Amino acid sequence: MENFNNQKPPKSWLVESILVTLFCCLPFGIAGIVNASRVESRFYAGDIEGANRASAEAKKWTMVSFFIGIAIAIIYFILVIAGVASAFKIAGAANAYT
Amino acid sequence: MRTLNIFKWAIAIIFIVMMAMVYRIFNPIHSVFFPKCPFLLLTGLKCPGCGSQRAIHYLLNFDILKAINENVLLVLSIPYLLAGIVFESLLLPSDKMLKWRKRLFGQRAIIVIIVIVMVFWIFRNITMNNMIFIIL
Repeated sequence: MENFNNQKPPKSWLVESILVTLFCCLPFGIAGIVNASRVESRFYAGDIEGANRASAEAKKWTMVSFFIGIAIAIIYFILVIAGVASAFKIAGAANAYT
Repeated sequence: MRTLNIFKWAIAIIFIVMMAMVYRIFNPIHSVFFPKCPFLLLTGLKCPGCGSQRAIHYLLNFDILKAINENVLLVLSIPYLLAGIVFESLLLPSDKMLKWRKRLFGQRAIIVIIVIVMVFWIFRNITMNNMIFIIL
């Protein structure tokens, strides 16, 4: 019988999952944390195959959450720039008549 | 391949330093350019990450009390996350390190984290904004 205590579990993506939970405001971060827990439990139960699957799953959710967060930030920034630009345009048009 | 890797890290570091400068100089509360939390906009309730940008701003200005007041979870998680990065970067950890890794980042620890996040999520929506100062 193998002794799994001498090996390192596959990457659980725990740190990345916590970061996206704190910065992206998305439940996908929680999905990442839950999968990180599965990596640990399966690995120490001897289910290396299952641990690797949970690791891939955790990576997927972390990435989904990360890119949705980035997309929201970029869309928000573009909308604000557009809003500020149109506000200047309105102000400029108003000034032209005074 | 190696130069490409160094290039990637250089860009990442420059980006992080630039972001840190932006977050140090500008307070997200006084500027419209920082993204708002979609969960807060949709529901009116705070998510576990709300206040993180303001907390980062105060941390970069060494105002830890104000940072704690914005998001105590973020401030508490920083040392834990740094330790996690160190443990994750060990390629061949010793038995002792593996034992500590299991204790700090194993399944039980992760369940504790999920419970803390959930309790914080509920708690911060049913108490006053500056509750932490009342405790302190």
